Amino acid sequence: MSAILKLDDVSVALRRGKARAMPILDHLSLEVSAGKMLALVGESGSGKTIATLATMRLLPRGAKITGRIMLGETDLLTLDEPAMRRVRGRDIGMIFQNPLSALNPTTRIGAQINEAYRTHTGHSDRAARARTLELLGEVGIPDPAARFDDYPHQFSGGMRQRVMIAMALACSPKLLIADEPTTGLDPLVAKQILALLTRLRRTHNMGVLFITHDLSVVEEYADDVHVLYAGRTVEAGTAADFFAAPRHPYSQALLGAIPRLGQARLLSIPGTLPDPEQRPSGCRFAPRCAWAEPACAESYPAPQSLGGTTAACRLIAHIPPFVASTNVAAGQGRQSHAAGTLLEVENLTVRYARTNTSLISSLFGTAPKFTALDNVSFTLGKGECLGIVGESGSGKSTLGRAILQMVGYDGRIILDGEDFTALRGAALRRLRMSVQVVFQDPRESLNPRLRIGDSVAEPLKFMGKSSAARRQAAAGLLERVGLSARLLDVYPHTISGGQAQRVAIARALAAEPRMIVLDEPTSSLDVSTQAMLLNLLKDLAKERGLSYILISHDLAAVSYMADRIAVLNGGKCLEIGPSVALLANPSHDYTKKLVDASPQLRPSTGSLQISQSIQSRQAS
Amino acid sequence: MSANLDILPVAGRSPTGLLARGMNAVGDNMAMSLGILLAVFVVLFSFAGGLVYHVDPYAIHGDAIFQPPSAAHLLGTDQIGRDEMARLIAGGKSTLIVSLPAALLTIIVGAIYGMAAALGPGWFDKSLMRVLDAILALPGIVILIFFAALIPLNNLSLILLLGLTSWPGLARIIRNEAIAQRNRDFVMATRQMGASTWYIARVHLLRVMAPILVVNGTLLVGDSILALSGLSFLGLGVQPPYPSWGGLLQSGLDLIELNPYWLIIPAGFLVFASMLSASLIGNALVAGWGGRR
Repeated sequence: MSAILKLDDVSVALRRGKARAMPILDHLSLEVSAGKMLALVGESGSGKTIATLATMRLLPRGAKITGRIMLGETDLLTLDEPAMRRVRGRDIGMIFQNPLSALNPTTRIGAQINEAYRTHTGHSDRAARARTLELLGEVGIPDPAARFDDYPHQFSGGMRQRVMIAMALACSPKLLIADEPTTGLDPLVAKQILALLTRLRRTHNMGVLFITHDLSVVEEYADDVHVLYAGRTVEAGTAADFFAAPRHPYSQALLGAIPRLGQARLLSIPGTLPDPEQRPSGCRFAPRCAWAEPACAESYPAPQSLGGTTAACRLIAHIPPFVASTNVAAGQGRQSHAAGTLLEVENLTVRYARTNTSLISSLFGTAPKFTALDNVSFTLGKGECLGIVGESGSGKSTLGRAILQMVGYDGRIILDGEDFTALRGAALRRLRMSVQVVFQDPRESLNPRLRIGDSVAEPLKFMGKSSAARRQAAAGLLERVGLSARLLDVYPHTISGGQAQRVAIARALAAEPRMIVLDEPTSSLDVSTQAMLLNLLKDLAKERGLSYILISHDLAAVSYMADRIAVLNGGKCLEIGPSVALLANPSHDYTKKLVDASPQLRPSTGSLQISQSIQSRQAS
Repeated sequence: MSANLDILPVAGRSPTGLLARGMNAVGDNMAMSLGILLAVFVVLFSFAGGLVYHVDPYAIHGDAIFQPPSAAHLLGTDQIGRDEMARLIAGGKSTLIVSLPAALLTIIVGAIYGMAAALGPGWFDKSLMRVLDAILALPGIVILIFFAALIPLNNLSLILLLGLTSWPGLARIIRNEAIAQRNRDFVMATRQMGASTWYIARVHLLRVMAPILVVNGTLLVGDSILALSGLSFLGLGVQPPYPSWGGLLQSGLDLIELNPYWLIIPAGFLVFASMLSASLIGNALVAGWGGRR
């Protein structure tokens, strides 16, 4: 087993404006072996993307990089640009998070893969075509010859990622860098992509450097795990050792933040990631660590090996190790609420006109329609959280939008005895107000040109409150969602995604709703931020008797939040039932597949006990 | 590249250093100050110039025909011996008094028309856009000439004429932009709170579209000055012997072989200064409102 890629004490500093060079990544050392997958794990701001850019020598202008990056026997840092260009694509392949923006939309995919191959080999067009067809077959594109001349938009997200992988493999690289390749994908598709990468690295004996923020993604597939926090390694080891017994408090916290079946409460990490300018001189995690002692702040702790992994923590011997156990809380505390019904949805059907209809057929109303939602009925209790799961295209977002009265529908939606379809004008507006919404992309859900205080106070304006009262209420709401009232006067672009999502929640609360539709509220956020938000939402529901409809493709998050789960596929509701029972005993094949694609739902890991031990620590 | 270069800006802080931020603030203020300075100069020159410089812009000085600048005539005289400085002052007054309100009228009409099309029902949008196509199909100057030939020409009619004929281009920009913005999540969230369409147009769409309005608005001031000059050149705008900047520039250009720099440079500078000041003020306003699109 030989190392294909070896990073040796690599540090990167970037220039920010006219300021001095800012250290972003410090003393990173890691090894990727042939045929193995190393998962480089960290949240946004940890430096993991900078590490891959450094490896590809694609850092922004003015970046300073020290150390050695060995690809086989070559130190990439000593190569000149033409030599480096030959390395990129030929020796190192790379795939990205968003395959749609990584593929040229105006060029046929066959030609794009050909190009990757011919650039480095100088082979003829014909040879390239044969190679491309072989690659497309290898990555699992059905009927490659027929798809060769298709454009990227004719492929689904998962298929596009396969095309990207085929392109990266064109020159049989020794190393594949995969930067969050499954993050935007449905769990079923993500699972297929991971399985494909696993198969390919074995057959090609290729090393894979897999970048992700979500430990649960790599649990089953990685050989080695390397965790970064604020630009430094906190823990590294084999995946088997790491997942059996993570040592570093940050690793434990990351695992504890992943929603798992039957978990009573997610572990959230207090505080926020330090700015690169303000990183503590000692252990960088110390300010947020439950075990931190004054000595932790003195110098960066030396890595120590214990139980198979190497962790940079002084107190490694004192921190309780990972205890494997079964999930004790499963099946507890999940009774349906007897407080009465809030929302009744009866025979809800939504049809959209297809976009490419002729003018005449649209004039006469004969245009073919696409049924996004087909005869769905369910009820939502007061204070209940109903999870809606399904893949993209299953109709789950349409369901949310119909409940919000944002799309036209057939059937009836009744909120607390009042039928939306029977109301018009002001009465309809008033009833709509009691159903609020939190969207997926926190930046899109706030007007970028409105101060945060004005956004939050907007519903109060329609209630006729005075401007002083509005400001006071907005400050109170911000504090309730854990933000400082100082944010009232800033614009959305100055705050983080997690903070913006809290602002969106505060705004929804300002309307004094009876229920909130949560449309993928945490999908674009880091795991620890997600944990914080889910806990907050849970508390708010209890405190205010709110009902939720939680729409998500993340079955784990849904299982943590929801009392009942409805599974949607192709616009139809396949099954609906209490979360624990439904996940333990899925009656439908499709539900089984979804559950299988969420490894964290298996009642095998003991993260529950970790989080309890840290929580008791945080409380004391 | 994945969106992970987001690691650079961190919550609650501007990505640039203190120094750079300071420079930006000063830079914005300098642009704003220069814009205001130019605007004050142009307006004072045009409206108060006559109080200081007592020369009749229509008087023909037979002894000084086509003279370069001198003590008697600060900016020289034109080919029939009229004082150029006095004519620039008078021309500024007649130009600004028509083109500024005309540009404002264009923006208002264009914004209302575009927003109405974007936010109204589908059939309404379609009808408004077909009307727009019909207007755009005709060259603007033809429409201008047609109406200018029909109605009596004075300041008010010229404002209405220019303002009511040049909005279609802007209306189309506004409509397309409003359609792109109207289904953004924050607009949907506001609707959910019971906001009316009028409120959404006024508070949300107008704000996110402010940069487009300002940039187009500043261009419109220039267009409007130009259109007025064009009409004047055809004898349908500011009527001779009354001067306008466009007309003065035009007559200077007619004599270009004789190198009449005093008839070209000052008039050109005034047009340039008014457009530059509109653009500087506009951009500084957008920056001052804060936030991003």
